[in-house]
Amino acid sequence: MKYVAMTQRKDKPVAVRPPKKRGEKAFDLWLQRGLHELFDDIAKEPIPEELLNIIEQDRKN
Amino acid sequence: MTVAPDFHEQIIAILPKLRVQALALTRNRASAEDLVQDAVCNALSAQESFIPGTNFAAWMHRILRNRFISNLRKRRDTTDIEDVPTSAFATDAAHEDRLALKELGHAITRLPADQREALVMVVVHGLSYEALAEATGCAVGTAKSRVFRARRQLETWLLGEAAERREGSRTAEQTTRPEGGTRTTA
Repeated sequence: MKYVAMTQRKDKPVAVRPPKKRGEKAFDLWLQRGLHELFDDIAKEPIPEELLNIIEQDRKN
Repeated sequence: MTVAPDFHEQIIAILPKLRVQALALTRNRASAEDLVQDAVCNALSAQESFIPGTNFAAWMHRILRNRFISNLRKRRDTTDIEDVPTSAFATDAAHEDRLALKELGHAITRLPADQREALVMVVVHGLSYEALAEATGCAVGTAKSRVFRARRQLETWLLGEAAERREGSRTAEQTTRPEGGTRTTA
């Protein structure tokens, strides 16, 4: 077997971080869906009139 | 300095994201609405300090975050924000019927506010770590670390022993590489 110095090797560098395991990926996907379900509603609710009035009032001044 | 003509439009456009950020920080819808209104008032007062062409979203998110911290300091004498009832967080009856989601909603409230905010802004808003760092006034590495720790803490709480075993095998890796892998999108 021929030995090659490390500096001469053309192998791709080894990834420092191992790929995510299946369970971890599944949890992250579930977490993403869950967070959207928890937080999307408030983003879609109508903006309170009072707040819009404050902004509009400032725009006119 | 001239104020960008669409300053007010930009505020209106970012309101949904501010509400999500506020809910992530306060864990309470009523408090979140108050926080957004306070932040908007602060932004309107400080609009001359915004430099047109710079990152408006990051500027606005920082104002809201600073207002949250300021409110927290004022209230500390009477109320600890960590004592806010978790039941105030999820108000949608349909969600309440779904046990897993309810558990997630409860677990989210147990996270430190900075981790909760970071996780929501990356996962729900789709912010990059760089944008999160700019919006929260921290280093990119800190932003990554907050999101990573939030994810893994939730996994441990919600999945129990299986996640803890995996976490144990990752500890050495995180010790040597605390910021995790590169991530540019949610």
